Order: sequence, then C-alpha cells, then structure tokens
Amino acid sequence: MKKLICFIACICMGLMLALPGQSLAAADIVVAVDSPPRMMNPHGDDSDAGLSIMANFFDGLLQRKGLKGELMPALAEKWEHPDLHSWKFYLRKGVKFHNGNDFNAADVKFSFERLSNPDVSEFINTGKNLAAVEIIDDYTVVVKTKDPTPWFANNMHQLFMMDKESTESRDPGDVMQKPIGTGAYKLEEWVKGSYIKMTANEDYWEGAPSLKKVEIRPITEASTRFAALVSGQADIVTGVPVELYDKVVSNPKLEIISQAARRSIFLALGNKPGTPTADIRVRKAIYMAINEDEIIEKIMRGHAMPAAQVPDPPTVGYNPDLTRLAYDPEMSKQLLKEAGFENGFEITLSGPNDRYVQDEKICEAVAKYLAKVGIKVTLDVKPKSIFFPEVSEGKKEFYLIGWFDGTYDMGRTYFKLAHTRDMESGHGQWNGAAFSDAGLDKLLESTADMTDRAQREKALQDLNKMAMQDLITWIPLHYQENLYAIQKSKNIAFTPRPDRWMVYKEISMQ
Amino acid sequence: MATYIARRLIQGVIVLLVVSLICFIIFRYMGDPVVTMAGKYATFDEIELVRKSLGLDKPMHVQYGRFIWNALHGNFGKSYVARVPALGLILERFPATFELATTAICLSFSLGLGLGVLVSLKPYAFHNRLIMAGSLGGISIPTFLIGILLIMVFSVYIGILPPFGRGDTVAIGPWRSGFLTLDGLKHLALPATTLALYQLAVTLRLTRAGMREVLAEEYIKTAWSKGLPPKKVIFKHALRNVMIPVVTMAGLQFGEVIAFSIVTETIFQWPGMGNLLLTSIYEGDQPVVVTYIVLAAVIIITINIVVDILYALLNPKIRYD
Repeated sequence: MKKLICFIACICMGLMLALPGQSLAAADIVVAVDSPPRMMNPHGDDSDAGLSIMANFFDGLLQRKGLKGELMPALAEKWEHPDLHSWKFYLRKGVKFHNGNDFNAADVKFSFERLSNPDVSEFINTGKNLAAVEIIDDYTVVVKTKDPTPWFANNMHQLFMMDKESTESRDPGDVMQKPIGTGAYKLEEWVKGSYIKMTANEDYWEGAPSLKKVEIRPITEASTRFAALVSGQADIVTGVPVELYDKVVSNPKLEIISQAARRSIFLALGNKPGTPTADIRVRKAIYMAINEDEIIEKIMRGHAMPAAQVPDPPTVGYNPDLTRLAYDPEMSKQLLKEAGFENGFEITLSGPNDRYVQDEKICEAVAKYLAKVGIKVTLDVKPKSIFFPEVSEGKKEFYLIGWFDGTYDMGRTYFKLAHTRDMESGHGQWNGAAFSDAGLDKLLESTADMTDRAQREKALQDLNKMAMQDLITWIPLHYQENLYAIQKSKNIAFTPRPDRWMVYKEISMQ
Repeated sequence: MATYIARRLIQGVIVLLVVSLICFIIFRYMGDPVVTMAGKYATFDEIELVRKSLGLDKPMHVQYGRFIWNALHGNFGKSYVARVPALGLILERFPATFELATTAICLSFSLGLGLGVLVSLKPYAFHNRLIMAGSLGGISIPTFLIGILLIMVFSVYIGILPPFGRGDTVAIGPWRSGFLTLDGLKHLALPATTLALYQLAVTLRLTRAGMREVLAEEYIKTAWSKGLPPKKVIFKHALRNVMIPVVTMAGLQFGEVIAFSIVTETIFQWPGMGNLLLTSIYEGDQPVVVTYIVLAAVIIITINIVVDILYALLNPKIRYD
C-alpha cells in the first residue's frame, strides 16, 4: 500500500515537472476589468462593457479618439451625407482581416445586414432602420436608412465590420467564440471566466500596437479586484470602488487615475393628471429637497460632479447656461403647501441595486431627504435584470436611472426617454414614468430632420432648457467618475477614454 | 438490490420533473430578458420580434412542454447572454468546480475524520478541547468572511498565495486541470480551504460524537480486554460503526459543494459553475439557470443513491428488498 502511494506521488511530480503550465510568453500587461465579455460576436452585445473588448479585435467604419471622443476615420477614409436618407462611405484600401481575407464593400454590406437578425445581434433598432446597403464598387458603399437619422454616422464606432466569407462558412457557435476582425489585436486564447489573451496584429492598418501581449482578467468582486492589484497580479484595474479609493491612494506602489464619466445619474418623474407629481410645484419641491452636495460628499465620497442636466458637455444638446436648483428644504415645504400637499403624500421610488455606483444608497438618501419635507417614500430597489424591463413597461411613479448616449447627440436619447410613449413609433421606450408633454414632443419631432450640426445644437439646447427648467422632466443628480488604478512600477502611459472602453492600441509602456 | 436501484431511479426522475417545473414557473417572473436582448434603442415591435424568435410569446404550458421535449434530446436551449447552448456552457465549467469540490471534500473528510477520532480518544485533554472550540468557529463564521480573511492574510499581507483565478492549467482533451502545475495548486489552496472549513468542522463534531458513543459499547470493552492492538480496536471495530451517519453527511456535503459553491467561487473569481449560476441569475439568463438547477438535482440524486448503496456495503445487515 505504502509503495503504491509513493509510486503515484512520483508520477504526479514527474507530470508536474514535465508538462509546462502555459508555454505562452508572459503578457506585457495584465488588466483586471469588472465585467467579462459575453461572447466574441461584435454585434451580439450593445453594452459598453462588451463593445470595449470587441474594439480591440474589430474596427468600425469610424472610430472615436481623444478626450472629447472625436469621430475619426477608421475603415472608412471619408464619409458624406448626400441626402436625408443616404450615407456614403469611402473605404480604406489594403486592409486585411486576421485570416488574410481582404476587407471590401461586400464585408460592409454583410455586417450591416446582420444587424437586424435577433439571433446574432442586439442592434435590432439600427438594423431595422436600414432600407438598403448599396455597393457602388469594391471600396464605396452607400447606406440608405428608412427614417432620416441625423446621428447615423455618430454610431459607426460601435458597429464593427465582420468578414463575410469566414462568418458565413463557420458554425454559429464558433463565431461566438473566435473573433475574426481587422483590429489591432488577435485573440490568442479565451478561457471563459478566467482570462482573455490577445497578441498584437503586426499588419494592422494603423501600425502595429506597442503592447504586444495583453491579458484581460475579469474579476467581478470588487474586493478581489483590489487584492489582485495590491498583490501585484494585475497592472491596471478598472472600476475601483469608491470605498476603496483611500486605500489605493495611500499605497505608494499604486496610482489612481480618475476621469469625469459621461454617464449622468438622474431621477425621473411622471406627470399623469391626478397624481401629485403632475403639479410642477411638486416636482420643483422634490428637486429642492434633495441635498446633492451631501450625496456627492458622503455617498460618492467626492467622486462625482453635480449635474444640472442629463447630457454631458461634449454632447450636442448640452446647454452651458443651465444651473441646478439650490438645495432649499424650506422653499420645498412652501411649494408643497402651495400645491395643496402640506401634509405630504406617498410615492414609490424605484431603482436598480447592481448597476450604477452606489445606486441603492443614493435611493435611500433621496428617500430620507424627501421624508424631511413630509413626502413618504417607499423604496423599491431590485436587480437590473428586473428593474429595466419594468421601466420599459412605463408603469413607474418615480425612479433612479443613469444614461449616456454613445452618439454624442441628445436627440436619440430624448426620443427614448422623454417623448410620450407611443407603441407604433417606439418613442418613449424608456420613459418609465410615462411623462408626457405635447410641447416637448413637438419640438423634439422637429429636430428629426435637422442634419446641420449648428441647427441641431440650437434646437436641442432649447429642448434641454425646456425640459430641465420649464417642465422639470427629470431631476439631475450627478455625473459619475471613472476610477482606474495602475501599478506605478510598470510605467504605463494610460489616458482613460470618456466612454470607459479599454482600447489597448492606445496604451503603451514608457 | 436491482429493484431497489430501479425504484430509486424512478423516484429521481419524478423529483427532476417537479424541480424543473418549479424553476420554470419562478423564472418566468424573474424579469424580462427580451428587453435587454433587443438592445437599448429597439421599438416595441422590434422587441416583439425578438420575443417571437425566442419562442417566448407562447403560453406557459407550451413552453414547458417544448423544454421537456428538447431536454430529452439533450438540447437545453441557448443562453440568452452568450447565445451558445446552455448545457455546453455549464459543462465547460464543470472541471473547475469538480476539482475545487473534490479537493475541499478530500481535505475536510480526511482531516475531519482523523481529528474526530483523535479528539474522541481523550476528550478532556487541553489540545482536544482547543480543536473543538476551533470547530465551533468553523461552523459559525460565514464562508465569505473566511474567504476574505484568507485573502487578506495570505495574498495581501504575507503575499505567498494568489487571490483569484485558477492559475496555469493544463488542458487534457476537454478537461482543464489545475492539479498538474505548481501554479494551479497554489491557486487551489485558498478557495479549497475556504470551502472545506465548514464541512471539516461538521464532520469532526459528528465523528467525535459517534465515536464517543461507540467507544462506550460492550463489544469495544471486550475488544480491549482481549488485548487487540489499539489501531484495530479503533479503526476496524469502532470507526466502521460510526461511518454510516458520517458517510451520509459526506454524501450530502459533496453534492452541496459541487452544486452550490457559489460564494467561494465568486470571491476567488473561480471560473466554475457556481460563478456562472450567480451571474446568470443577475442577468436573467433563464435557460442557463433552469439547466443548472436540473443538473444540480441530477448530481445530488445520483450521489444519494450511491450513498445508499454504500450503506449496504458498510453494514451487511442492511438489505434493500
């Protein structure tokens, strides 16, 4: 018996020494991110977490760079907008996919037509809006939309181009696991839930990236991500939780990089006739009862910027003249008395508890502030997978939500969030409290045909002013802050992108 | 014996049907995955289109019938999140959970049994009292706290063991094993210990209680007076009679550890089935959750049947007819 055990132990030791672990070379950097990719199909996930990883393996016709997210050529060198429904793209020549196939107009047509297929794409709305994709020649494409869509080109950085031949010839499961794109990196290995290993694409059309091997490790648990950073197992960590900020700052080996996020967090109210919130004085009262500075200081630990509106500064529609209503609980009580609610009223505040930074705590704080002016709030906080479908049903009274629009244009957001709910056109899909104002709707609809940027900007700014000051459609709270931590010793030159994407061709080591 | 096994298998199938029905009904009310899958900017019509393409517009009993029919052919549906077959997604992660669970159970069973026997021989000795007090700690401290404490001590402060992941693994066909590399074993240390601690404490206390009862029996006194060597008295005569409750516990624990090591896997970012279950619940990924629970039920039912058969082997007096 003893001899048998010894023998087995020897075999095991032998195997351990003989079989190399992972014989692939060590990565240049290891990045710990907070959410894993769901699949390697670039159209299958329209969330920024997924697009962030896909942006390394694939390119879109256009890309966004820089702190303002400027729209720049990528796979398309030039683009034009000949009429209300058409968009013409001149494609870059000499680009090859990872498998050696040439990139040309047929691939563009294939990628666009794939968007309306619910089995493989979450960009259904964009897909269904396409009337036709015309191939003029191998390197010129005209895309025609059904409805005039002024922000169409603004979205091109999120729609990635796939290789027609290899996607059609492969089995759908393989397409979900192995990406073949034109991007700066090729996938080396993806072990679900463990890591993603990427190697640089030396033939990349923009020039080979400087980081040759990148390893991404998704770690969803915040304290474990922190432990990975402190123990030196990760070089860059995204999504540092605000509670651990002080610990990172006080650690001499680590450096924090913070950046104002594009996402604004706000409260949405309904205005159905007969409900207390239908009266604008009540809405103003609720706005003034909330001490946003205290929320930023105590709950967000200083890592947020107060917001007076929903769009952020680079977005078309951002109105620099808007300011927040000051915190004034006395005035709030006065307004409630004038509206006939001296003894307050009851309302339910809904919100997600696993989506935004400190979302549940913010809801609790708002409930407490409103209680001080006599409004009794019942909290209804739940996971995002249940909360968001409920919002899209439009039956909420009062809820917390965050938003930012990848197109840098407030028009699309307004149609989805503020327009009266309309089954046919799909407007007001995310108007969860069924807010409805005819004046707002009319002004919004008039912007649908405007393509001149200056004209749109003026119209959307007026719209924004109307919504924030005259109607109080929403009560804006703050813009979140994105926190990243890096190992000082590795000398990583990293400037975070405003959309939180991690695009590794933009990162280098000094 | 054969009829007994057949009867147990039929009971198992009935349990599976009931469990799957309950799951199905509950997750119907768990949120609407179609809204997320159609994308942020879809219109109501487009959402209905996606609903139809997934077959979610049909009435409940039709959906359930279809699910059972497909399940019998091995098709458990496609995950809403990853758009690949749910069963494949779960089985891909089985090696990771299995290795973790096996290590934890081996640790807890061997140490629990060994320490339990040791403690029962001289129950009032100081070191044995210390062990018993420690076992109380193992039972009452929750798993997540143990995990975080271990990470803090061994990864952050002392820095000898890694805090997350499986490390370097070797792929033997479809099975990714962490047992064959030193790095893999280092990564296994903390999560396995966290998982094992509770089971260890329970096994220890159970063994001690059983041994103390058996050691006071008449036949043990006879064995001592016959002059048998202590090893024989303790292991051949006393321990065998204590094994039935211990083996039952171990069987239940093994099933539970494989199926529900969710907390440990989340803390250590262990890419196992439990981790997948938690993320799927949060994302409202119904096919994966229902498939997982059916799979867990299968595993637990199988283990319990095996345990019952082990009884007959341990105690020849037990007959199933």
